[in-house]
Amino acid sequence: MHDPGPGRMARRKIKLDVDSRAEFSYADDEPSAFASMLGGLIEANVRSRPEKARDFESLVARVGIFVTDIDEGVTLDFKGGTLVVHNGLKPRRTLTIRADADTVMNLSNLKIGLLGLPIYYDGVGRGIAAKLLRGKLRIDGLLPNVLTLNTVTRIFSVQ
Amino acid sequence: MAVKAFSNEWATEFKDEVNKSSVYRTAAKGWKWTVGLVVEAEPDKNFPEAKGVVMDLYDGEARDVTVGTAADAQKCDFVITAPYSRWKEVATKQLDATKGMLQGKLKLKGDLPTIVRYTKASQEMTECTTRVPVVWPDEK
Repeated sequence: MHDPGPGRMARRKIKLDVDSRAEFSYADDEPSAFASMLGGLIEANVRSRPEKARDFESLVARVGIFVTDIDEGVTLDFKGGTLVVHNGLKPRRTLTIRADADTVMNLSNLKIGLLGLPIYYDGVGRGIAAKLLRGKLRIDGLLPNVLTLNTVTRIFSVQ
Repeated sequence: MAVKAFSNEWATEFKDEVNKSSVYRTAAKGWKWTVGLVVEAEPDKNFPEAKGVVMDLYDGEARDVTVGTAADAQKCDFVITAPYSRWKEVATKQLDATKGMLQGKLKLKGDLPTIVRYTKASQEMTECTTRVPVVWPDEK
């Protein structure tokens, strides 16, 4: 079983679109507001955009996102067409993104360019790149997982 | 002159602040949905009845802002709900609205990708609320 431990594993399935195999669920009986927001955002993106649904179907990774100025995190467990959202950072993460709330929201506003690569040369992209250089955005596990990060960014992006 | 919080006068001043903001005008280009703010009652803070702020926002302009019942606000395309004292924290810059939503202090209903796409516009709108001098009912 994934992530065995003392935590509750309710796996509450919140919605299943009959037109899509994608499944979204929450590991905790009471998902945090941040977990609900991220899970809801990804679900809305995947259900409305076929290119994001394709990325979602292919992505297998555990991605942690920690918002430094509210001291809250989530773990997004992508399993090739399903997503389980956990409150808090759970072990065995592929990538962990740590940034303040504004930067996390801006990550969702990165535009996607040719070859499905995030654009880092417009206003939003430059802001993200600058925060990465200044250490205000930290991505643990980045080097061996650049392609995974690009896929996550595409799924995450609302642009 | 300071106006009573969440009154019709406040709504007019707030609308004027939004329409004066070039930042909002640019960031909200393309926005075409109504936004409702539900201000939940807190009788112990001298705010005995819930109110609803209905904002008719279109393409970078606030066409109308009115104060009515919570039910009016709940009919909008996007609805943000919080108790009176939370809204006061937002309007007095003690609580950042983005953080408030991520923490569940402000509850959001509506299409998430759309609201995230307009993060900058919503942040500027929050800034506009802080520029309206307000008389708070719990400070009388």
